[in-house]
Amino acid sequence: MLTTLDYVLIVAYLAGTLWLGFRIGKRVQSGSDLFLAGRRLPWWAVGMSLVATDIGGVDIIGGGGAAYKFGLAIANFEWIGCVPAMIVGAFVFIPAFYRAGVTTIPEFLERRYNAGVRSVIAFCWLVFMACNLGIMLLASAKLMSAMFGWNPAFSILLTASLVGFYTCAGGLEAVVYTDVLQCVVMIGGCLLTLAIGLYEVGGPKELVRRIEAIDAQRAEKQATDAVSEDVTSDTDLQTNPRLTLILPVDTPTPFPWPGVYFGLALILSPAYWVGNQAIVQRTLGAKSEFEAKASYVWGAVLKNVIPLIVAVPGLIALALIPDLKDGDAAIPRLVAEVLPVGVRGVFVAAFIAALMSSVDSYLNSAATIVSFDIYKRFVNPQVTETQLLKVGRITTVCLVVWAIGFAFLLTRIEQNSGIYTIFQTLMAFFQGPAFAILLTGVFWKRATGSAALTGLLCGIATSVGLFTLNQPAVREALKLEPLFRISDPFLYFSIWAFLVTMVVLVTLSLLRPQRPSISITSGS
Amino acid sequence: MTILHRIGEAIRELLQQVPLTGVRLLFVGSLVAILLWVLSLPAERTEPEGGARRWDENLKWSAGLALGIQILVYSLL
Repeated sequence: MLTTLDYVLIVAYLAGTLWLGFRIGKRVQSGSDLFLAGRRLPWWAVGMSLVATDIGGVDIIGGGGAAYKFGLAIANFEWIGCVPAMIVGAFVFIPAFYRAGVTTIPEFLERRYNAGVRSVIAFCWLVFMACNLGIMLLASAKLMSAMFGWNPAFSILLTASLVGFYTCAGGLEAVVYTDVLQCVVMIGGCLLTLAIGLYEVGGPKELVRRIEAIDAQRAEKQATDAVSEDVTSDTDLQTNPRLTLILPVDTPTPFPWPGVYFGLALILSPAYWVGNQAIVQRTLGAKSEFEAKASYVWGAVLKNVIPLIVAVPGLIALALIPDLKDGDAAIPRLVAEVLPVGVRGVFVAAFIAALMSSVDSYLNSAATIVSFDIYKRFVNPQVTETQLLKVGRITTVCLVVWAIGFAFLLTRIEQNSGIYTIFQTLMAFFQGPAFAILLTGVFWKRATGSAALTGLLCGIATSVGLFTLNQPAVREALKLEPLFRISDPFLYFSIWAFLVTMVVLVTLSLLRPQRPSISITSGS
Repeated sequence: MTILHRIGEAIRELLQQVPLTGVRLLFVGSLVAILLWVLSLPAERTEPEGGARRWDENLKWSAGLALGIQILVYSLL
């Protein structure tokens, strides 16, 4: 249980965040202030905000849970699944977006292709962000409930109302500066947890020894079970080597190397870092093109330490509490059993910081998409900056209400997959196709709007189709064998969806006569 | 077995032939390639307008640090 000291630390952190958001909120006078922070953000703040936004409560609980279940391979999502894409994004895509003077990625795509492409991408991002808001709030409720017996409804309402308040008042600038505070609290709090956890285990060498012993013990058990024909899928998972990043093609985890390399590093990661509105939007609010690029490079440097705070605690939990059935319970149990008074409060503050820094960004970006890609584009093209500010704030409030409702709905649905897998599967549906059209849009002048739209829709249909065909009930009804041999093959969905989009886009574009190239710079 | 199963099986068997040492080389090699590309970028793409006044204003060094750590990680783990 939390003590008074823990509560003092948590309340101090929350009060600091609210104060910062409130102060910045006074400066917001227009839609441009709310959505792009008046283009006055410095590189260091944007870089820290990028990392804080990317690491949410989902990553701390779900990432730690995946490390507990599958091992260090989950760290691929923070290393090769982030750093290379951020560096390439910094020097190739971010300058292109910044020079175009756009507010949203869908707006960029309309300038390059057509309104149809813009609308489909805006719709996909809006649905994803809105669902993700509920998933993130659920993650907080799970942690608080498991550790302290807090009422999940209370956790959801508290987080949503606090974040909703400062995001609505201060917009992107409040989001970025509270993210800076949250980044410091999150990394500091999790590093403290890591240090204490390692001390409890007996140091890094003892951690490695214990995990290897657990793996060996389970491999032996599986061999015995196989002889007695009593093999279960769960024991299959447990025999995977947990201390390596690169896993073979037939690994029983969702992270075989072809999925990690082709699906994550080459498709999902660049799709996320150059195509995700919640990520890219803050760089568009940077002071200059150089500061926008610098923020991505700074974020990539910071990203190198993230697996230490996300994946390694999951391994520590495995070494200390090896018999948990639910991986998502690993971090809450570790915190409850290992951390002393006071430090527990720091961890809870770090977790809330991680959660809030992601929820605020998705809230602000979802409101930006509604305001620019729906309201300004289709409802009222002559909207003034003051009206846009009002629309943005009303949308933010509506999204908070929706997120609370969706989180409550999720708590009532039994899920076999972990939180992390649900999140990644949702992204895999459209990120591959979205990246394919962005990539060709920037590098291939001949790509046409109608080809991009057709390719995009075919790509999304491919990933949704593969997901559907992979569901046990559907397979049984159609009498089909599984299409993929690994569990939760979301990385493979994105590869196939990307390839289908590319093939359709390139083929249809080549069938049309070549036209003069289109300018997508500001004012065109 | 549908046509999708046959395609998937063929690709799976092909990828299974690649030894994990070769896969590690692929991962590390890709990171090295990006590092070399960053180091070869012209100054106007990695420095602020008007040129860098201090060494740390050239983004090549920070990007090199981030990628260097990655190369080390994927060589060892």
